[in-house]
Amino acid sequence: MSALAELRRVLTRLAVRRDALVGINRRNVTLVYRHNPRRYYPLADDKLLTKERLAAAGVPTPRTLAQCDGLYAISAALEILAAHDDFVIKPAGASGGAGIIAVVERVAAGRWRTAGGKDIGVAQIQRHLAEVIFGVYAKDIQDRAFIEERILPHPFFDELWNEGLCDVRVLTLESRPLMAMIRVPTRRSQGRANLHQGGLGLAVDLETGHTFRAWSGHDTLRTHPETGAALLGREVPGWRDVLEVATRAAAALPLGYLGVDVVIDRRRGPMVLEVNARPGLEIQNVNGTGLGPALAAVPA
Amino acid sequence: MPEPTNRPIERGWKRHLLVMAALVGIFAVSAAYKLGFLGYSLADIMPRTRYDVALEMRFDGHDDDASVTTFLPMSDSHQTISDEESSSPGLHLTTHSRGGNRIANWSGVNIPAGARIRHSFAVLARAVHFQLDPKLEVPGSYPASVVPYLKPEKDIQVDAAEIRQRLTEIGADQGSLVARLDAIFRATSAMPQRPFKGVTDALTALRLGEASCNGKSRLFVALSRATGIPARLVGGLIMQSGVRRVSHQWAEAYVGGHWVPFDATNKHFATLPEHYLTLYYGDEVLYRHTKDINFDYRYVVETMLVPSPKAKASFHVFNIWAAFERLGLSFTLLRTLLMLPIGALVVVLLRNVVGTPTYGTFLPALIAAAASETGALWGTLGLIVVVVVVAFGRMLLVRLELLHSPTLAILLAGVAVSLITITMIADQLGLHRLTRISLFPIAVVAITSERFYLSLAEQGVATALKHLGGTFAVVFACYIVMSSPALQVLVIGFPEVLLVVVALNIYLGRWVGVRLSEYRRFRQLLLARAKT
Repeated sequence: MSALAELRRVLTRLAVRRDALVGINRRNVTLVYRHNPRRYYPLADDKLLTKERLAAAGVPTPRTLAQCDGLYAISAALEILAAHDDFVIKPAGASGGAGIIAVVERVAAGRWRTAGGKDIGVAQIQRHLAEVIFGVYAKDIQDRAFIEERILPHPFFDELWNEGLCDVRVLTLESRPLMAMIRVPTRRSQGRANLHQGGLGLAVDLETGHTFRAWSGHDTLRTHPETGAALLGREVPGWRDVLEVATRAAAALPLGYLGVDVVIDRRRGPMVLEVNARPGLEIQNVNGTGLGPALAAVPA
Repeated sequence: MPEPTNRPIERGWKRHLLVMAALVGIFAVSAAYKLGFLGYSLADIMPRTRYDVALEMRFDGHDDDASVTTFLPMSDSHQTISDEESSSPGLHLTTHSRGGNRIANWSGVNIPAGARIRHSFAVLARAVHFQLDPKLEVPGSYPASVVPYLKPEKDIQVDAAEIRQRLTEIGADQGSLVARLDAIFRATSAMPQRPFKGVTDALTALRLGEASCNGKSRLFVALSRATGIPARLVGGLIMQSGVRRVSHQWAEAYVGGHWVPFDATNKHFATLPEHYLTLYYGDEVLYRHTKDINFDYRYVVETMLVPSPKAKASFHVFNIWAAFERLGLSFTLLRTLLMLPIGALVVVLLRNVVGTPTYGTFLPALIAAAASETGALWGTLGLIVVVVVVAFGRMLLVRLELLHSPTLAILLAGVAVSLITITMIADQLGLHRLTRISLFPIAVVAITSERFYLSLAEQGVATALKHLGGTFAVVFACYIVMSSPALQVLVIGFPEVLLVVVALNIYLGRWVGVRLSEYRRFRQLLLARAKT
């Protein structure tokens, strides 16, 4: 009898959690289709368009050093770069970190070292910019390249991982935060923070800014599997500001359901790196709960 | 406890419900009208078994004249023969009728060793059963055409004393016609079966007390004739899937103006089962051929379910089936067109409810439609070959650093060549079904290869294989549903079924439940003991 009661208890719990879970069907029908008109997708998919909108609304973003809309603009961009020690080259229309080169120091005039430890010269940068413009990393047949100042992560993030950039993904619905997580790269993810590429997710309590759960993609964790850094119970510095920047960014865009990626620069504080109009659902695994209750709290 | 926020159907679905109800309503009214007032028959929707029979002969000529003679089946009330095809390189085929039989002769000059003849045909058959009137008496006289079937023959010794004596012993020398036949049938069918391939005459069978099918049938015929009932031997084939090297013989007795079948060997009384194929009547030899040519033959039988012709006849309003026939468009095309939406529904179910990853929404349904020509097994094999060709071709081409479209064009050439190669190899191996792989629509194959290629290039081998596996699983499910002849005939007779398909898609389009695959993805979240 007690076994039956136990079974019923487990099944009830399963049903309650299942009902709180947002699957792909529900995300598409109730969140993406309802809140994100397709015509506004470019505002999230094109990082330069995103930055324009956010800058207009006064939301901090990393400074753009140069922009290449076509091959003609490459030489001007290279001239600007000659004066910089570190910077990041990005395609405007790529996703998943494709085509991004982070340059961390200058080793000689016209020679730099990348975050991956490789040397890179003017000719290689020139070729990379051309590839970006030819759409090698984008879905479309052409793209734009831009060069940003390099973020110097807040020491808080350096303690978690110092070979790449950690960011805070804040999921928002109609400019209200639903859930948040820190995305921590690993060597396995090749320095990228995306969870499906092998990065870690740390759930952040929206109220307190404390990390309370860590997820490796298939299991919970207490420490970083490679650096051994403790992952739980850490407080994100300036959490209120992070949330404020994220919600202001969401409010600046006509897309209701967004994943806003925020980085914290040690000098300039929280800044929006990019936004995603079809954010993944893995954040639920990271937080250990479904999005349902958070969604229910947002007034329709 | 959080409030349950998950409904199977999203808010504001009354409008959807209305549309769905209207669609199903139109379907119901239309189908009921057809059944109730237009005389459509649901009973005929069940498919029939079609037997594809190939007679394959092989012999060694000695660069000299050679000739082979056999019997070919004819259509009658029991069997319908169609789609006859003959191939006999170097041999000339002539057919003629004699004694109610259709005789085929292949002959040629300078025939080398390893000559082959292949003669194939399709058979639609139905079981025949006669209700015999038990009060019927043995008639005193018969029409002149039937009289010869009372006379003795070389191996049917009607006048032998032992035959007469056995007739009396089993009580078949008196009584009604049916009582006599019954006694004869019981006596012959009770004899132990003897696995003997050669000819056994009636008297030998009687003396041995056991016999093979031809011995029992001759004894049956001899006893029937001896008691005054005209009877004859029938030669044919028991059609079962596979290779058959043995023919079968049974008997027919002339009862009340009909030739009624009796198979004492397999105990079919006044019944001819559906899977019996009649080849000839009389005490004949199935094959006659030039001596010493190392002659060998076999029948290769394949069965498949096909729509019943009766169903077509009953669908007389807006009869698309008949229209397609008039226009010379194939039935395959019609059923592919009508079954595609149903296949797509299966894909939707598997993608959105189960969560199986596939290439595209319609591609699995299209592949399944293509595979209907070859059967699921050979279709799958063919596609695997195509996929392997694409994967290896890509490995070879990737070093050349070609642009995307020319790469695909080269791979397509590889795919075309591999399809032709499969057909050639299948022909050599005698895998007739697999030769049909060439009927795979090249467009479907091309799209499949392109999708697989892109997936390999963009998502890596592991994901590409996962999606390929998912695609195959969905193709298989689509194939099972789309190749059901009963469903095909239903949709052809009642195309309004597609309205129900649309209604189901509306439901699935608003179904926001958790996919089965997501139970796995979020299993920790769903099952964890304590919340952290």
